[in-house]
Amino acid sequence: MNLRGSDPHTLAGAYAMDAVTAADRAAFEQHLVGCEPCQQEIRSLREATVRLAGAVAVQPPPAMRDVALAAAARTRQLPPVVGPETGRRPARAAARRRWLPRLALGLAGALAAVAIVLGVAVDGAQHRLDQAQVRSREIATVLNAADATMLTAKISTGGTAAVVMSHRDRALVFTAAGLQPLPASESYELWLMGPGGARPAGMVPGSRPGAVSPMVVSGLAAGDRVGLTVEPASGSPRPTSSPVLILYLSPRRNG
Amino acid sequence: MKGSQGLPGHDPAAGPAAGARGSAQPGRVGQPAGPVGPDHTRPVPNVGGGQAFGPVQPVQRGDQPDLGLLLGRVARGDQAAFQGVYDRAAGQILGIVRAVVRDPAQSEEVTQEVLLEVWRTASRFDATLGSPLAWLTTLAHRRAVDRVRSEQKAAQREVRAARSAIAYDEVTEIVEARLDRERVRRCLGSLTELQRQSVTLAYYDGYTYREVAALLGVAVGTVKTRMRDGLIRLRDCLGVE
Repeated sequence: MNLRGSDPHTLAGAYAMDAVTAADRAAFEQHLVGCEPCQQEIRSLREATVRLAGAVAVQPPPAMRDVALAAAARTRQLPPVVGPETGRRPARAAARRRWLPRLALGLAGALAAVAIVLGVAVDGAQHRLDQAQVRSREIATVLNAADATMLTAKISTGGTAAVVMSHRDRALVFTAAGLQPLPASESYELWLMGPGGARPAGMVPGSRPGAVSPMVVSGLAAGDRVGLTVEPASGSPRPTSSPVLILYLSPRRNG
Repeated sequence: MKGSQGLPGHDPAAGPAAGARGSAQPGRVGQPAGPVGPDHTRPVPNVGGGQAFGPVQPVQRGDQPDLGLLLGRVARGDQAAFQGVYDRAAGQILGIVRAVVRDPAQSEEVTQEVLLEVWRTASRFDATLGSPLAWLTTLAHRRAVDRVRSEQKAAQREVRAARSAIAYDEVTEIVEARLDRERVRRCLGSLTELQRQSVTLAYYDGYTYREVAALLGVAVGTVKTRMRDGLIRLRDCLGVE
């Protein structure tokens, strides 16, 4: 057993080359938030890997070009991140409020970090927030947003919910672990509860004992809270019971 | 393990690709047609039908528009700028994806995913975090590694361990990259054997540090240190800032 392995900095080389598991990545990115020297080191090591990549560059088959251009032509882009006062990017000092830095934060890493917070076992092929289940690029967008913030809360009937939200994308990703199992006739339903009432935000998929597959909810409005109720399995247009969870979304901050 | 320089595709002892990862599809990826230009590039023919993408430029060195400027314009929806990014970087993206993913069809698939991600998220590129090319190759490498790990089967990983070079005749080398390639080979050669193997197994083969430790029969902590030291030495040798 090598005790030097407890020093988080030693992972920098492996991290810069993606030679880390999702759990390692998430842990290291947490470390990176507070370690400016590490951020600089990663930056320079990544530039070195650019040369490694360049050494194996190839000429693409000509047919690829048209496919790429056509795909772009029919694909929406993410809007730029705009600061509130001047239109420039928000200051890096806001890193403290981010839950993870944006350094190449991929979907697997983001989900692993959420899993860590929820106390869900993350272990290669077995981790519950299975990357294969998550097709939605919208989820990755929110998880990677520059202003992404994470909130967690206990559910009154058992389990923990985690929400990652982005004011700029006006969207959030909801996931939970340890939910009390429900009979087949019932399901958990998610709501956006605003001043004007509760809007359905989707049925929580499945009732497995492990973590819930992430759900993306868009169209957040000012004053919205996230609510969770138990409803008939087919869902309900209005909540029919008291919420087992209410999450107040963090207010929009300047910068 | 082979005691080669560690650079994929350059080991003369390597035979044709055997046991390629995923569904084996040997044979050429695709031959660019047309005459060879004076700088040994072939102009990429415009195969688009009825789409207003404009004339195709061959890949050149020297008078390249700045990639960062191009990305800025891509972020504002400029499709011509995206063509520029493609011409400038698609070969690097495909190259590193192929080194990791190996299977030609999957490599093209992953490359297209990366290119689309570039288009989609160009507005999120933060120049303070690294160079434009670093953003692109990091995206590409990450996607390649994710694809490989999500599809890996133990048996195929075993086969890969026995062979660390891709079949060189399956891809068309970019001649201009030869100088960079030699520089990288030389700098990789200046590393210790363990540092070099750790770096190439990680970067070109997509193994995690734990897998590298298992492959090399070395302690996990040692591999982490070698990867970091090796990459730092490589960085300094290559003169990267």
